[in-house]
Amino acid sequence: MTVTTAPEAALGVLPRADGSAKYSHAGYTVTASVNGPIEAQRRDEHPYEAHVDVIVRPAAGVGGTRERHLESILQSSLTQIILVKNFPRSLIQIVLQVEDTPENDYVNTKLVQASLSFAIMPALFQTAVLALLSAGVPMRATATATAVAIVPQDGTKKSVVDPSPRDVEIAQSVHVLAFTSHDELLLAESEGDFTVKEWDDVYETAKDVCCRPVPTKEGMEMVLDDEHTNGPDLRHFLRSTMENKVASDLHWK
Amino acid sequence: MTTTTSRPLVLPGDPISPDLIPSSSSKPLRLGPGLRHVPPSDIVPVVAGQLITNHQKNSMWVEYNNNRYLPTPGDLIIAQILRSGPDLYYTLLSPHTPPATLPHLSFESATKKTRPQLAPGALVYARVVLANKHMDPEIECVSQSTGKSDGLGELKGGMVFEVSLQFARRLLMAKSREEGKVEVLELLGGEGLAFEIAVGRNGRVWVGGEDVRVVVAVGRALRETDEGGLGVEGQRRLVRGLVRGLK
Repeated sequence: MTVTTAPEAALGVLPRADGSAKYSHAGYTVTASVNGPIEAQRRDEHPYEAHVDVIVRPAAGVGGTRERHLESILQSSLTQIILVKNFPRSLIQIVLQVEDTPENDYVNTKLVQASLSFAIMPALFQTAVLALLSAGVPMRATATATAVAIVPQDGTKKSVVDPSPRDVEIAQSVHVLAFTSHDELLLAESEGDFTVKEWDDVYETAKDVCCRPVPTKEGMEMVLDDEHTNGPDLRHFLRSTMENKVASDLHWK
Repeated sequence: MTTTTSRPLVLPGDPISPDLIPSSSSKPLRLGPGLRHVPPSDIVPVVAGQLITNHQKNSMWVEYNNNRYLPTPGDLIIAQILRSGPDLYYTLLSPHTPPATLPHLSFESATKKTRPQLAPGALVYARVVLANKHMDPEIECVSQSTGKSDGLGELKGGMVFEVSLQFARRLLMAKSREEGKVEVLELLGGEGLAFEIAVGRNGRVWVGGEDVRVVVAVGRALRETDEGGLGVEGQRRLVRGLVRGLK
């Protein structure tokens, strides 16, 4: 079983883009660039809103239907948090380049054709949000995302946060959920067989991972609290990444 | 003049506690860039940055850095002429954006017969007149009310360097040395180099001068101060190194 490490992010990695971010977590590494608001093509112009164009490029190859599917899901959720009404007839272009995916130790990857797994979606989503924050594109709220898989284990089913490729392979269902910083559900995509009760449990687990309140000054209770060891604290990670960026931008003040 | 001591980091959508919002009975509250008003009474940040409040002027805004310029009326910018139309020039403020229009007669004491003829690629120092989200921006090189150019107009010769928007704002501050912590230009002038500068809020700085090496050295100094995040000490060292190379 692969060990899940803490998420890492670097902002402003591409100097020529308006905003960029490189994010890695659970074996997935994605680099995103954001350009905008810039002039849109005539066919993409919307009279009252900006057009959000998401392009997903896999680590190898050009990308096919699977990547287009991920793009359309990301586009519909990112359009909800970006303030698109501020930039009519413009384009906000987000390009996501997958650099690394975790290896499945049980499968010979040289024989299997590479195609993006569903579980990469939270990494893609998070990188896009970080790149948008780095570019200074006005947004309604920030968002965090996570993947949960329901894996049969010893006769019962267990929900696994940040599933490894092996987990995804043997899982009954894989779910990706994203929440905004106002604790609203932004994205909910699922693959596989599951009951409504199982989805409710997945929802609670994902909400716990994505919407953990930021630790207050008396943070000792949070550190010792064993209930919240389901996954990394994504909101806190997002905030501390942005704190570093703003502090380095405003070093002269 | 002085701002509050607490300067919290805000992310888009963060709630702002009411005690941070300045209140004054006489002046209305003015919201600067990075904030939006959600009726009836919510003020919400839209970018990630530092929330700054000025109790004297009863205003608040978010201080952040980025590279994509959004035109606002009253800004002084450096534009490049793309082509000439029947009554206007089409100019570019930043790449991949719709061109801004500059009327042919929008120069000091210009008539149809005596107007400046600008070729594509020429640079102008202009002021943004009209900029809203529905229309292409418009710029002018003369003040409408007084008819004088006040330093606006064509920039002949020299070179243009790109800087981040925040660095351009620091250069344009009234007290760029004390509050903006940018000393490079004063230091280079103090060493006896002869050059002139025009700073555009769209992240462009034009440097003009007779000696090309001086122009390039000034441009390098600005670029390295911006990209390297140099403080006052670092700027002094940088200027010393550049001047040594010139002599």
